[in-house]
Amino acid sequence: MGEVELSCLAYAKMYLHASQFPRCSVNGLLLSSSPAGAAVCITDCVPLLHSHLSLAPITQLALTQVDAWCSQTQQRIVGYYQANACVSDSSPTPCALKIAEKIFEQCNNAVLLMIDGEKMFPGCRVPPIVMYERKDARWTLKDKHTIMLRQWEETCSIVNQLFSSGDQTLLVDFDSHLDDITKDWTNQKLNAKIMELISPANGNV
Amino acid sequence: MLSVSEMLKMRDKLRKWREENYRNSEQIVDVGEELLNEHASKLGDDIWIIYEQVMIAALDCSRDDLAWSCLQELKRQFPDSHRVKRLAGMRLEALERYEDANKLYDSILQDDPTNTAARKRKISILRAQGKSSEAIRELNEYLEQFVGDQEAWHELSELYINEHDYAKAAFCLEELMMTNPHNHLYCEQYAEVKYTQGGLENLELARKYFAQALKLNNRNMRALFGLYMSASHIAASPKVSAKVKKDNMKYGAWAASQISRAYQMAGRGKKENKCSVKAVEEMLESMQITMS
Repeated sequence: MGEVELSCLAYAKMYLHASQFPRCSVNGLLLSSSPAGAAVCITDCVPLLHSHLSLAPITQLALTQVDAWCSQTQQRIVGYYQANACVSDSSPTPCALKIAEKIFEQCNNAVLLMIDGEKMFPGCRVPPIVMYERKDARWTLKDKHTIMLRQWEETCSIVNQLFSSGDQTLLVDFDSHLDDITKDWTNQKLNAKIMELISPANGNV
Repeated sequence: MLSVSEMLKMRDKLRKWREENYRNSEQIVDVGEELLNEHASKLGDDIWIIYEQVMIAALDCSRDDLAWSCLQELKRQFPDSHRVKRLAGMRLEALERYEDANKLYDSILQDDPTNTAARKRKISILRAQGKSSEAIRELNEYLEQFVGDQEAWHELSELYINEHDYAKAAFCLEELMMTNPHNHLYCEQYAEVKYTQGGLENLELARKYFAQALKLNNRNMRALFGLYMSASHIAASPKVSAKVKKDNMKYGAWAASQISRAYQMAGRGKKENKCSVKAVEEMLESMQITMS
């Protein structure tokens, strides 16, 4: 199937989300601001939950709100990510498959991304992600060569900078938003900080 | 060096975190390490419970150096204590030496078969190893003996939710609601489970318990949204009578207005919530359309 490109912004926020709740399973949605085509460009993500991932009401609520926000901002939901609490098991859970199916109904090259907790240590050379795509009515592992993370080294260094500056605490997921609705689950503030770090690194935004 | 008043403040912070059972381990390590290194002599008898608290937090942050030194102090002071043995076991768990940890807990249980802490650690090991069905089985056996253990009932409800066994999760939450009738979180979690189970009857129960959670805490946003969504779904169902439809539309409309109000107040003066406020408004609008 087609190529998938994962932006620094999306990767950084997913990583931060998983790091913020190391004892919980976390999940979120992958977004694209590029027009639909053969390749999928994941340009942003929305961190959703860190508790009771498989319960329906809050998930439904989050999907509806993110949908509304996407249509206001010319983005599309193109995928789903999840990091399991149990670090040694990065296989998709029934709940992950269910949500990915829903997304696939609207986006025929949707991706399912599992974060591999065992590879999330400083100095790891390999991106801690495993991607699945829908082929022949099943979710199958995607060929690693079709997954692109531009400027991987810079991305890693940006994530490290976020941790050392303490900015990783800025990340808000939908669950935290429900605990305090003055918190912004679209993470405008954090996005701006990350974009600031990206620009000098490679000269383009 | 801290002044005496600063030191007392830190000690009180640690006590508050202990009493409220917060798991803010990085903070505890930060505050606790400084307190223990610089002011151990001024802590009096509190020092032992602080060693225990800091040790557990250190394990949570992979600070085995700190955990080890706290453990040594505790072993020196309480050489034959089961409580300290349990802490040694937890350190082995943190190092993923589960067999050794289990041996330690088994030796505690041989000495004292009623030691609930050791039993619960053994169940935690099963959880850490991903052995959910065994953890569930052991926890059920534990609860047959220790029927009043709230923490265990809640842990069991979480395990059942992860396994998608919503009926059994609901049963655990019912136990918790019975013994904690003022706890809005249990009501709200129970409502979420019922909603997930689906079907008209469960949706109505969900709506009732979301409403109950709101009565107990009118700022519980999950309960408010839950009330809105369950009422809207019931009203939209072709199987309900005209009266039920009308009633639920009323509940839904009330919830919608409360949600709007809450977001208006939250959005006041803060530019960054503009996005979330707009998203909610659009959601409420779109659901109105599907409802009618």
